[in-house]
Amino acid sequence: MKIVVCVKHVPDTAEADVVITPDKKGIKKEGLAFGINEWDEYALEEAILTKEKYGGEVVAITIGGKDSEDTLRRCLAKGADRAVRVEDPALEGSDAYALAKALGAVIKKEMPDYDIIFTGTQAGDDGFAQVGQTLAETLGIPHAALVTKVEIQDGKAKIHRELEGGLEEVLEIQLPAVLAVQTGINEPRYVSIMGIRKAKKKELKVLNLSDVGLSPDEVGEKGSLLKLEELYVPPVEKMAEILTGAPEETAARLASILDEKGLIPK
Amino acid sequence: METVEGESFGEKYDLFVCLQCGKCTGSCPLSMRSQLNPRKLVREALLLENEAVMDKDFLWDCTTCATCRLRCPRDLQPVEVIIGMRSILIEEAKVPSTVQEALESTFKNGNPWGRAPSKRVEWAAELSIKKASEGAEYLYYVGCTPAYDPRVQSVARSLVRLFDAAGVDFAILGNEEKCCGNEIRRMGEIGLFEMLMEDNIEMFENYGVERIVTTSPHCYNVFKNEYEGLKAEVFHYTQLLCDKLDEGKLKLTKELKKKVIYQDPCFLGKQNKVFEEPRKLLSSIPGVELLEYDREKMRSVCCEGGGGRMWAEATATGERTAEMRVKEAAALGAEVIAVACPFCLLTFEDAVKTTGYEGKIEVKDISELLIEAIEG
Amino acid sequence: MAEVFVLVEHRRGEIRDITFEMLSGCRDVAKSLDASVTAVLLGKNVDNFVEQLKSWADKILVVEDDKLENFNAEAYQKVLSHLIKERNPVLTLIGHTSFGMDLAPALAAELGIPLATDCIGFEVKDGALIAIRQMYGGKVNARFSFKKSPYMATIRSAAFKAEELGLSAEVEKVPSPLTEEVTTKRFLEYVEAVVGEVDITQAERIVAIGRGVGDYSDEKVRSMIEELANELGAVIACSRPIVDKGWLPKDRQVGTSGKTVKPKLYLALGISGAFQHVAGMSASETIVAVNKDPKAPIFTVADYGIVDDLFKVVPALTEKIREIKGGS
Ligand SMILES: Cc1cc2nc3c(=O)[nH]c(=O)nc-3n(C[C@H](O)[C@H](O)[C@H](O)COP(=O)(O)OP(=O)(O)OC[C@H]3O[C@@H](n4cnc5c(N)ncnc54)[C@H](O)[C@@H]3O)c2cc1C
Ligand code: SF4
Ligand code: SF4
Repeated sequence: MKIVVCVKHVPDTAEADVVITPDKKGIKKEGLAFGINEWDEYALEEAILTKEKYGGEVVAITIGGKDSEDTLRRCLAKGADRAVRVEDPALEGSDAYALAKALGAVIKKEMPDYDIIFTGTQAGDDGFAQVGQTLAETLGIPHAALVTKVEIQDGKAKIHRELEGGLEEVLEIQLPAVLAVQTGINEPRYVSIMGIRKAKKKELKVLNLSDVGLSPDEVGEKGSLLKLEELYVPPVEKMAEILTGAPEETAARLASILDEKGLIPK
Repeated sequence: METVEGESFGEKYDLFVCLQCGKCTGSCPLSMRSQLNPRKLVREALLLENEAVMDKDFLWDCTTCATCRLRCPRDLQPVEVIIGMRSILIEEAKVPSTVQEALESTFKNGNPWGRAPSKRVEWAAELSIKKASEGAEYLYYVGCTPAYDPRVQSVARSLVRLFDAAGVDFAILGNEEKCCGNEIRRMGEIGLFEMLMEDNIEMFENYGVERIVTTSPHCYNVFKNEYEGLKAEVFHYTQLLCDKLDEGKLKLTKELKKKVIYQDPCFLGKQNKVFEEPRKLLSSIPGVELLEYDREKMRSVCCEGGGGRMWAEATATGERTAEMRVKEAAALGAEVIAVACPFCLLTFEDAVKTTGYEGKIEVKDISELLIEAIEG
Repeated sequence: MAEVFVLVEHRRGEIRDITFEMLSGCRDVAKSLDASVTAVLLGKNVDNFVEQLKSWADKILVVEDDKLENFNAEAYQKVLSHLIKERNPVLTLIGHTSFGMDLAPALAAELGIPLATDCIGFEVKDGALIAIRQMYGGKVNARFSFKKSPYMATIRSAAFKAEELGLSAEVEKVPSPLTEEVTTKRFLEYVEAVVGEVDITQAERIVAIGRGVGDYSDEKVRSMIEELANELGAVIACSRPIVDKGWLPKDRQVGTSGKTVKPKLYLALGISGAFQHVAGMSASETIVAVNKDPKAPIFTVADYGIVDDLFKVVPALTEKIREIKGGS
């Protein structure tokens, strides 16, 4: 099996404050912890599990700056055989469509005989949920998003896709295909720092646009169909009544509110 | 067995001289309630292959209290053998998910609690404290648990007020502070430990740090004994405050009429022989009657909070040691259990609840009692 | 007149809410674009759907084909790209649902149409469409412009309200352009998540936990939450990370990929309020959130909030409720 996994290095903003930069095009990165996108971590694990089961090779690909090598090193340590990072100033301002084109170009160059491409369903930062599916289209192969189970059977895969309301659909998909995985599909393994150090010997290639045969016009703002005009703090439409004070006080207030509303069973 | 670095356990830990006397197991606070048996593990490290550790979940029960090491007539280190075995589990990715998360968070966020690094200094929001970049006589190294755990934050805040009251010139690293790695090494993640050590030493040197004072005995231990090449002098806060008391700079004036019993933290007491300073601080509080456990100092019993146990649910069953200690304290008539370690604070407070002594016995960090004695 | 296409989403004999939300939510933007609204219905034996949709659109385009019985992104893509090429709608709207997420990106890429996903609103500026969507887990909003028209967008569930329109749509049947079976992707069956002993959709009171509770396999944490739930007579539900960890079964998950609940009380503990979660609980009568982060989006759907550590608030709350119960 020739397996590709596309990963992204993203900031963790679940708890941290998000501050928009003065040009309104991005957020301040200082002080934020970065790591592999949550969905991609599951995609990576699925890629490695697939290799462990059927043999073959896994190549991990990212588009991003030098710092995203952290994420690639983890991929290598967990079991990817080699990694490719694409960096080029012309990629600045790319939308999901342009990124998919760039990924497609890297894949065609680095693993043209792929059988399966794993991506995460979405990234925690921009939340587009479209790169994997777009990539499939640019490569002319089928895809499935929100994949929660994969069983490979010669030339095909039987997959589960998550639907709403706790329902799943079972599909048969022809390979090669792009499978954009949903979290929870597996249990991503731990990789130690020693493991990461050992993996330093594995190949981590850095390419630019011309290496993958793309012209600057095909990516970045020029090659994109969508343009970020500005970021802004969401207007607060409705805001909860915030109870203030020490925990005993807020708890007491809340308990009496619940009591007034008849929400405490007696 | 072979360590993850490829040496034989026998040679690395000198296990051939083990008498199999079982003193280690006999003194282990967990061996009665868990399959954890240091004597047997020492033997297995000599005889078995690495595969043999794969299904030993109970390896995560060890609190790394080091009692086994201190009791061994041959000066062997069963606790290090256990850490070595955990390292094998780590390299094989056979880790409890909670340990995995703590380790991943430490790598990514610089703390094992899964919290954002940008929130590390929030505990000090209402205090004005010098930044390490401004230079100071002491670097106050706060530690992950005091920085993030809401209960233990009160200890960090108390210490700041005490240092101020005693005229200590100190600074903190703020959001730049990173995990010390004491627990990380004990969970067997040697590579991550080394990385933290290198990063921290570099940061200390960049800020010209000459003296470090810590909240936690765990940070104290690792800086003092395990940070290779660290030039700074290291103090636990009880040592620094005791000096200030002797110099007459820390004045304990308010009366606190309480019977107080002191729990020696393993990493301060038996492992580093700091026994007198905490006791002196407590007995200098007017009104305090200091009680002692039967088993104190070198014979004190671990609270079960160390060695990664904050992140690994033990396989051990039966009464926890902290619960046993709470009951003993009650039997001795104590009203307050004084601790000097964030983990003791958390495990004992929990044990007070589970044993039904809530409202009867309080658990306080020494710093919190000292604050009462200076501010009333 | 220009058209706005709204793709009708249906599953197992029912039109899904997102369809009506889009049909009613797009009226303003359609007006600004000088366009009428066309519901695009693909399926098999859809007469009954046509009836339901009549009052919601200006026109209904119907493509019936056995091969369209179940949703299949490949088949849908073929039909839609054919329709879009033929009729050139100025804007095509698709739900940002499991179905739309699978379909829209590839369809847009095939046609070279700009696609904005997961939109929560639109503006029309100088005749051009601006899409509003969220980033960084809802902490930031973004305005995106499209390079060119026509446009395509997927719409977040519950971003728009479905309000009766009282229209009477003209119905147009179009022959299916599908000539052969789609073989690259084949639907096999639906599987239900296993039903456990607790049905959270029937609960009057729910205590919901999120990643903020930390390690829910820790007995202390579990009993702290269970005690509160017991005092409230509530069942325990959760956000997705708790299920991903295997700490609670899938049938306790609230949100788009879990259950939709409408209890009298929804108490959210350590849940940030990602829209996928909120979509499953926003219709609850009284919502209370406890979260350390004052900026957590959950506070914008909650009625009451406590900005504090849940480990401090929960035991105190349990205690106070006990007092109230004891006192009566
Ligand atoms: C297609 C798709 C479907 C999805 N379906 C669902 C779904 O059905 N249901 C669902 O829930 N999610 C779903 N998700 C995931 C969703 O996007 C979020 O990732 C998830 O809801 C986040 O869960 P959380 O709020 O528990 O965690 P987080 O976003 O990590 O939030 C944790 C919160 O806890 C707070 N906190 C931390 N510690 C404490 C403390 N001690 N006291 C108080 N507060 C604290 C933090 O401030 C933070 O706000 C789906 C995602 C996708 C892509
Ligand atoms: S105490 Fe020392 S000598 Fe005795 S069994 Fe344990 S390790 Fe061996
Ligand atoms: S370190 Fe403590 S808990 Fe671990 S084996 Fe030794 S005595 Fe037992």
